[in-house]
Amino acid sequence: MSLEIRDLSVAYGRRTILDGVDLVVERGRLLGLLGPNGSGKSTLIKTVARIVKPRSGTLEWDGLPLDRLSRRDLARVVAYVPQAIDQSFSLSVREAVVLGRTPHFGARPRRRDWAKVDLALEQLGLVELADRPVSELSGGQAQRVLVARALAQEPQVLLLDEPTSALDLRYQLQTLHLAHTIAAEQGVATVVSIHDLNHAARFCDEVAFLSGGRVLAAGEPGEVYGADLVRDVYGVGVDLSVYDGFTEVHPQVKPDRTTRAVVPQAAPQTAPQVAPELAKVAS
Amino acid sequence: MSTTVAPDAAEAHSAGPEEASDTGGRRLGQRQDLLRTLLLAGGTVLTLLITVWTLRIGAGGITTADAAQTLWDKLTGGLPATPEELRIQTTVWELRVPRAGLALLGGAALAIAGTLFQGLLRNPLVSPFTLGIAPAAAFGASMAILFAGGGTSSASLVGGALISGILCAAVVVGLAATKQMQPTTLILLGIALTQLFTALTAGLQYIANEEALAAIVRWTWGTVNGAVWYQVVTVAAMLAVALPFIQWRSSSVNAIAFAGDDAARSLGVPVTRVRLELIFVAVLLTAVTISFTGIIGFVGLVGPHIARLLIGPNHRFLLPFSAVVGGLLLVLADAVGRVVLAPALVPAGIVDALIGAPVFLYLILVRKKAF
Repeated sequence: MSLEIRDLSVAYGRRTILDGVDLVVERGRLLGLLGPNGSGKSTLIKTVARIVKPRSGTLEWDGLPLDRLSRRDLARVVAYVPQAIDQSFSLSVREAVVLGRTPHFGARPRRRDWAKVDLALEQLGLVELADRPVSELSGGQAQRVLVARALAQEPQVLLLDEPTSALDLRYQLQTLHLAHTIAAEQGVATVVSIHDLNHAARFCDEVAFLSGGRVLAAGEPGEVYGADLVRDVYGVGVDLSVYDGFTEVHPQVKPDRTTRAVVPQAAPQTAPQVAPELAKVAS
Repeated sequence: MSTTVAPDAAEAHSAGPEEASDTGGRRLGQRQDLLRTLLLAGGTVLTLLITVWTLRIGAGGITTADAAQTLWDKLTGGLPATPEELRIQTTVWELRVPRAGLALLGGAALAIAGTLFQGLLRNPLVSPFTLGIAPAAAFGASMAILFAGGGTSSASLVGGALISGILCAAVVVGLAATKQMQPTTLILLGIALTQLFTALTAGLQYIANEEALAAIVRWTWGTVNGAVWYQVVTVAAMLAVALPFIQWRSSSVNAIAFAGDDAARSLGVPVTRVRLELIFVAVLLTAVTISFTGIIGFVGLVGPHIARLLIGPNHRFLLPFSAVVGGLLLVLADAVGRVVLAPALVPAGIVDALIGAPVFLYLILVRKKAF
């Protein structure tokens, strides 16, 4: 069983965000989406979760076209973990996880729903925090609540949108370990968008490099990572090494602390604008 | 699967001993829901009892027992035996029950509309009047007073307030629909139309003679003084349809309020449709109620907050409970308004804010953390 993304294109108005993306995520595997800001990682994740409508292309789970499912049925297959939780009003941790059962229950949660909620709380070590308001939690704990909510959804496809970007090192490692464990032990096809190339190399079974809405390369990190690819995608010169069996990426920084940056060559017409500071160091 | 995937030793220490209480924890979630259901039921009974008790307030030496007897007679078809009983029955049934009923149901309608707006727009500061319904209704009422004449419950006044309130909300929602019904867009458009209708009403007040001016100002105070039976029945019928629908949608409101639009969609909630449907319901509840009562503002903002502080933010309980709290607030406000300067009447809209504001301040200050 696998999530198959075929020739997926997404546009906001006239601006093309994704341009013919093809990707396959097998059941039980963790795919890392890599690429600079604006390369379409978030949009790809949101399109699979039907938060964003594609212009063209197909999404299939185990041969079943996802667009045939109602929104509610889709929510029983695909779960989405956003970057941050909305804090206008605050639920208790337990009730926040109950939200994950929304596509499963009707008027009110049943015994089975509460059982799934408790299981998710337990799996994420949130049992002691269950009655605390979410607004009182640390960033790492709040992240775990969002993941618990997604697990309570009992998904077959789990999408995490930059789950590590607001976390300290310990919680980054913990979250990625969690994503990997969920994929491996529960047989969930998991996609995580991530900025840290070294973390991705350690935790992801596969990675895909997005740039300008296209997949430039995809495969196992050790095989895909290359100095040329990283330079093309990020506009930064790097050296690669192998440490503890995993590929590591080291940005080349000159003695005066400027980077050996290069403008991405032959940027497609849909490429995001190069950040001004990057352009400056490049020139 | 009993895998604990939180690897963090410092925080995963709970996993071991808590395993045993897994089933206990499951019951805990359900037990919390049961407690809330009981609080809801208890609050409803208490509110109804207090409402019946307030029927004794006013001239004529009518006791709570007399009032209860009247309600019982009307329920069972019993006829008054003496002229004195007939007098009591007429006073209670034709004057006091309609005003208490309109206060109870109108307060419930405004508070539930406020809870819907706050949840759907994810903003604790919004009220049923956020879309500009109140100043628009005041404008409609002013037009009716100026150009159609008639008393405070005349058809032209009620119609004018109702139509202009709903039209204003329709304009706001229609314009917001071009921007995917974003909460911020709705709030900003509401602010714009509030300003517009406030200015238009001020313009009408400027050209009004003293008598009409007084009528306009009195209308904007908000009161259940002129309550008559058809108004009570209208609001009751509206609530009878709206409440089950709102309750059915409450888990969707939870997802929108607590997870955000994107995550709510990923939880299977058709966000834009739910927001549109429920804003429509909230607008109707608000516009119909204030077309009968004038502008009673506080209950729609503070009722939801008091309810939230008492029963928690889960809309499955908060929505019905805010109706109970809003109804009780307005019944009490009207009762106090009749007692405090008796025989003069202080409009419920004024008392409502005078009592509600300190209560609200207290609740904000005793809360440990910020909203």
